[in-house]
Amino acid sequence: MAEASLPTPTHTVDTSGTLCPYPIVEAARAIRGLSPGEVLCVVATDPGIATDMPMWCRATRHEHLGTFRVGAAWKSYVRKRAG
Amino acid sequence: MPAKAIGMISGGLDSTLALALVKRQGIEVKAVNFYTGFCITETQRRKGGRADGTVPRNEALRAAADLEVEIEYVDVSGSGYLDLIVNPRYGYGANANPCVDCRIFMMRRAREIMEQEGADFVFTGEVLGQRPKSQRRDTLRVIERESGLEGRLLRPLSALLLEPTVPEREGLVDRTKLLDISGRSRQRQIELARELGVSDWPQPAGGCCYLTDEAFARKFFDLLDAREGGGEGRHIVREDVVLLSTGRHFRLSPRAKLIVGRSEAENAILEGYRGGRSRLEAQGVNGPVALVEGAPTWEERTLAARIVARYGKGRRAARVAVTWEEDGLVETYEVEPEADEARIESLRI
Repeated sequence: MAEASLPTPTHTVDTSGTLCPYPIVEAARAIRGLSPGEVLCVVATDPGIATDMPMWCRATRHEHLGTFRVGAAWKSYVRKRAG
Repeated sequence: MPAKAIGMISGGLDSTLALALVKRQGIEVKAVNFYTGFCITETQRRKGGRADGTVPRNEALRAAADLEVEIEYVDVSGSGYLDLIVNPRYGYGANANPCVDCRIFMMRRAREIMEQEGADFVFTGEVLGQRPKSQRRDTLRVIERESGLEGRLLRPLSALLLEPTVPEREGLVDRTKLLDISGRSRQRQIELARELGVSDWPQPAGGCCYLTDEAFARKFFDLLDAREGGGEGRHIVREDVVLLSTGRHFRLSPRAKLIVGRSEAENAILEGYRGGRSRLEAQGVNGPVALVEGAPTWEERTLAARIVARYGKGRRAARVAVTWEEDGLVETYEVEPEADEARIESLRI
């Protein structure tokens, strides 16, 4: 899925400058505040997010919509699971 | 309502198998992974991967994803944990590893999570007799008691060799489906992995904690001794943990230490920790970023600059200009790169 075709995120959390595992810790914290179906965008400068986010989504049953490199950062889109 | 359990997982083979065994009983499981700041794998990832070019995975996340179990990171890397590793009640293992205290600390947190989540018990992948200190029978009992988890701490891989826990006695866990593994051999775990369809686990096993590493332990205790000698008291803070696992460390004197980056990634990490330290870098030639902690004398400053010059491309030059940045002021030292390898080795921590 291309980044341009993704839904506008309900909330964006910028974890730039933090190192693994904090981007995932921050994502977990942020997604608790969303309603099912809403989309979270996680911005990270730690390259580990590219492998961690799909695995975290698989474990937590949120939907990983895509992770994209944008300059020196990564943007990861996650749709909160229903229920 | 099914039973609910909190699984402490590292993503290694034993904790992955424990997770699979408990989940297979139809028990609702929440996995927790403790972040201490001392994980070698995490540090390798921050530095861009291993020497062979591969990037290690986060194994706890991988295990939870493979077994479709919700996972939560628990960050324990703050002051309470750091105080514990400086002053462990049960002492250190072979290096700077206070494994018994560390297990108690984590299990106390796991107990809190168990209570918050309304779970029935906590489980781990511990195997009786697998590790010389922290997994002896008597130590397992101490850890259970001290963590406040008495009767609520299940070790599925060795359960048949231990007293039945409350969830076993209450029938929440079927004890007949638990195991009697002990010792250091991993043969039975490998057979069990085949049986449970667990096909992916990290190799080699264990060794993920810097505190068990001899070279790290030398630097760790050097720092504590230097602080104590300087009247600060034995303590470490979070940024020490990053710096102790970054670069070559040289003890210039009881008052001053030099840290020299070994790669672009380490140079970038050191750049992030300039606050309160002096920054050194050779000019006109490629070379490492270095930091000096403490209050060096003039001679020690010159020595630090010479060592920094030695680790750059100008190591064979007659003289190298090394900048010294401190509190916004920049000085330049023209030095001969240090050529006395024995001297350098004598300073290496």
